Amino acid sequence: MTAYQTGLLVILALNVLGAFAVYLPLSAGQLNLGIAGFMAVGAYAAAWLGNEQGWGATAAIAAGGGAAALVACAVAVPILRTHGIYLALATFALGQVITAVFLNLEPVGAAAGYPVTEHIGPAAVLLTTLGVAALVLLLSCTRFALCLTAIRSDAVVADLMGMPVRALKVAAFTLGAAIAGLSGGLYALHYNYVEAQHFGVMLSTYTVLYVLLGGTRSVWGPILGAAFFTLIPELLRASAGWRYAIFALLVILFMAWRPAGLLTGGLRLPWRRRAAEETP
Amino acid sequence: MTPLSLSVEGLTKSFGGLSVIRDLSFTVPAGSATALIGPNGAGKSTAFNLITGVYRPDAGRIRLGGKDITGTPSRRRIGLGIARNFQNIRLMPHLSVLENLLVGQHVRAGGLIDLLTPYRLLPKHRWRAEALAALAECGLERHAAERVQGLPYGIRKRIDVVRATLSRPGLLLLDEPAAGLNPTETQALHRHLDMLRARGMTLLIVEHDMHFVGRTCGHVVVLNFGEKIAEGSLAEVQRDPLVREAYLGGMAA
Amino acid sequence: MIAQQLVNGVMLGAIYMLVAVAFTLAIGILNFLNFSIPGLFMVGGMVTWALLAQGWHWSIAVGAALLAAAFVALLVERLSYRPSRDADPEVPLASALGFLILLENLFVIRYGSDQLSFPALLPDFNWRLGGLVIGGAQLVSLAVAVALVLWLSVLLRRTNTGRRIRAVAESRETAVILGVDVGRLVPQVFVSSAVFTAAGGVLFALNYLQVSATMGEGVGFKGVAAMIIGGMGSIWGAILGGLLIGLAEVLTIGFLGADLVDIAVYGLLLALLILRPEGLLGRPAAREKL
Repeated sequence: MTAYQTGLLVILALNVLGAFAVYLPLSAGQLNLGIAGFMAVGAYAAAWLGNEQGWGATAAIAAGGGAAALVACAVAVPILRTHGIYLALATFALGQVITAVFLNLEPVGAAAGYPVTEHIGPAAVLLTTLGVAALVLLLSCTRFALCLTAIRSDAVVADLMGMPVRALKVAAFTLGAAIAGLSGGLYALHYNYVEAQHFGVMLSTYTVLYVLLGGTRSVWGPILGAAFFTLIPELLRASAGWRYAIFALLVILFMAWRPAGLLTGGLRLPWRRRAAEETP
Repeated sequence: MTPLSLSVEGLTKSFGGLSVIRDLSFTVPAGSATALIGPNGAGKSTAFNLITGVYRPDAGRIRLGGKDITGTPSRRRIGLGIARNFQNIRLMPHLSVLENLLVGQHVRAGGLIDLLTPYRLLPKHRWRAEALAALAECGLERHAAERVQGLPYGIRKRIDVVRATLSRPGLLLLDEPAAGLNPTETQALHRHLDMLRARGMTLLIVEHDMHFVGRTCGHVVVLNFGEKIAEGSLAEVQRDPLVREAYLGGMAA
Repeated sequence: MIAQQLVNGVMLGAIYMLVAVAFTLAIGILNFLNFSIPGLFMVGGMVTWALLAQGWHWSIAVGAALLAAAFVALLVERLSYRPSRDADPEVPLASALGFLILLENLFVIRYGSDQLSFPALLPDFNWRLGGLVIGGAQLVSLAVAVALVLWLSVLLRRTNTGRRIRAVAESRETAVILGVDVGRLVPQVFVSSAVFTAAGGVLFALNYLQVSATMGEGVGFKGVAAMIIGGMGSIWGAILGGLLIGLAEVLTIGFLGADLVDIAVYGLLLALLILRPEGLLGRPAAREKL
């Protein structure tokens, strides 16, 4: 395998992890537009623990995931008071705040960036991604996943069926953040450099778009979306600017053509209108 | 299943100054089938929402099997034995019929082990088998794998009832279970309800179809403008002048 | 000193106000969080710059920029809003974000991603009032922004079009039954929203004498913040929110340093979303029926 192909696989793996991090909360109806903030938490935590505390790569990356989960858990209760578009905007604001904090945090280099001493090779990134993917796929076969879908579909009924809606929502939000943190940790230790600017709005946006394009009603959607939109621009061998322009064009066309995503396409969701009519 | 009695005392609810339920008291004896009837807007669905905890009452008590549940949060009530269907069929449209039924089992299968068992990989899993059996009892098993979204109204309506039974409730609240069903489906629903009663479920049914009420319910409570105006057997309440006035809009008076 | 900061904050706020009004029109009337608006803001500034660089008269350059933004907005209506009206709420949002990315990258490909210097269109004129210094560009911006917003509020209150728009905002179905031609009205709303944003972009360029392909991101997203702080769907809320964000930003720069602006602005937004999601002037969301 050439270095180019390996590099591409690593990017693909990180994108797939990011897509899962968006997918899990989204399967419970939470659109997290600040996922890059949680990636930043994971990246900086792993980098700092490796650099300053002498932690090994595995422990540092795992701690990165844990740190992001902790932050998520701490903000989940107030932030999940909001719903729908308000939640999307609240996570968006949260992502901006987190990135801005790292941009000003002197112990981790602030705006100058933060070099990382511990290093992991591509194999470690790929294996971790495979492990996480296996776990998420397994999770999608459980009642836990069923509960999240039920909450997304109709939270009032889910509550009446006895589901602890609040706790499940927090769990989905936190799990997503943990995966984002893990991917941030892998990123930091693989590229050996972290800068806050990388974890901006656009990273969150691209990650969310992978998931929406793949389809949010199947666990294969985020994998497909991330793979398609990582590999297609590469195959077209486009320059950096055109790469994003083509990506954006595909987003627009796909959303117009298959609003429910590549995988679960064909659903134009007529029930939304019908449900509204049936309400007395 | 042990049938549970229900009693409400002095139940009152208003929304922004509009009084919807006023000092409502009635009792549903354990094991009975009781109907809650009344013209549109009489407050029947609101009464259901108060009993299941969707709304908090402004005043009054709700007792289930003698236990006061007025302050119990909505999500804990199903565990105490109250289940319900929904007038406008609130099944999860993107899930299959089987998955919707698994949702209905949640209160009995919400432990950590059940929550994290990858049941989709285990075709013979007991929860799945139980849900399929419940479908088969109603002759609906061929729809198990279909998405709810595409199913005809009557079938969705009946699956909503099946879902409610899967929590094994002692008291089942049915909001217009027969509305929109064709005669064959209505017959099947009657058989289903008879079976549920035989198994020891108390039924409280909101229904407009008086033939349906006469066939199933021995006891009838009549609401109008949020107040109870009559109570008794169907024949008794049908003779009641207040009830006739409520339904005929004053013409009988 | 504080007085000067306040004046600067109001001037910056006037630009946020225009963007926030654009967002609030889309969400209040169409229930569409139009994330292509930051891109339209950039189109306003960049197209004006490009045409000025070609030697065109400023009035034609500005007019062409507004037209370009309106044209893009019609594309957004056609490709993002219309096909996905019945889909999950994330879908139109994602598609609009697609337009933002597309616009930014097309301009990066053509003009690069660096800051470009925008010619000073107004003579370097300062108005001194007591100890305060108010720049000519600032005055013009404020005047244009206030005029646009006043025009909009008169349009919404006093004209038939305004009545139709408010009917659609209240209930699309009812408006259709009452004979409102929604198919024609919606593109009009998109165009007005685009004109507001693009005008904001032109005024931004006029004030800061700089444009870039990514100029929409910072201002555009703060426009979202301003809209929410004021209350989604409320024009007066957008005006109030815009001014508050402008003031918060300028005062943070003045007293805490420029690095903390994003923390202050987005922290404020986050706190408000949690404590009062309907915003300062918005109405609380209707409760769900069962």
